[in-house]
Amino acid sequence: MSGHVSELLPLAAAGALDAREQAQVAAHLGACEACAREAAAWRDVAAGLGQLPASRPSRALVARTVEAVEVFLAERAERAWNRAALGFLIAFAWTLAVLSWVVIDLVAGGLALRLDRPVGPTAAWYAAYVLTGWLAAGVATAFAGRRAPQEGRIA
Amino acid sequence: MDPDRDDAARLRRGDTDGLAGLMQRHQDRLFRFLLRLTGDEPMAEDVFQQTWLQVAERIGRYDAARPFGPWLFTVARNLALDQLRRIRPQSLDEAGEPAAPTGIGDDPLARAMAGQRSSRLADAVARLAPLDREVLSLRFEAELELPQLAETLGVPVPTAKARLYRALARLRPRLLAHAPQEEWR
Repeated sequence: MSGHVSELLPLAAAGALDAREQAQVAAHLGACEACAREAAAWRDVAAGLGQLPASRPSRALVARTVEAVEVFLAERAERAWNRAALGFLIAFAWTLAVLSWVVIDLVAGGLALRLDRPVGPTAAWYAAYVLTGWLAAGVATAFAGRRAPQEGRIA
Repeated sequence: MDPDRDDAARLRRGDTDGLAGLMQRHQDRLFRFLLRLTGDEPMAEDVFQQTWLQVAERIGRYDAARPFGPWLFTVARNLALDQLRRIRPQSLDEAGEPAAPTGIGDDPLARAMAGQRSSRLADAVARLAPLDREVLSLRFEAELELPQLAETLGVPVPTAKARLYRALARLRPRLLAHAPQEEWR
């Protein structure tokens, strides 16, 4: 018998042949006893590979894994909340600073922010006060931030 | 509706019930695959835990239009191969020291129950290179079809097919060497 299909038989047993190859194998096996025997042997191997003895993950391993993932998710949620809280606080602080600047300037005698009037001493002092405050807060945040990421919190 | 997609969506929202569902459906075949690939139970346990942690961390990158299984096995194989490369000086494509028989354990009763023939097959598989064990486990134990197998291995389908053929071809002489004449052939 010529044209044996031995090369295709392992993949036939693995269900990995395309339609043309499957047809070629089927046509040959009907007429070749040797290849038919080998095909049966490969089917046995394939079935055996799907039923190899295998243990399952222990309950302790599954419990440890679930616990580790829960801790990870909780920390990630906390970090996300911290980032949102920090963003809100920064936006709120800037809004408050700008608004209070305008209010104080009005109370102190006119809107200094108008372009046709010079900035008065009250506004200048207030600007210096705000900038100093932000600078101090920035330095403090930078120091705290060097430790915080590993702990999953702001500071 | 695919329960994997539902559970993946829940996990993406931080709901641990989503994780429970995914683990329940995939933990056994994932562990079996890791045992087969690493040939070492403590390493398989370590990678098993790391895999689920990475699933939780990267679930946002999972494309819900595709099946979850291949994505999970891709995460697991990358972690396992990283670990194996750290401890194996030789290529993962070469058979080194035979991997410990996995899944049978030391229990004599379990060994007896496993059956001699199945045991011989497991031993023959354990003597293959890690990359051969990997492709056989993914196809026959995890039951991934060829396109999913290729996706998991990160190679084109013809390459996955060639790797599957090579693994089976390498298995054959190992079976013939240890099996009685009437078996396998």
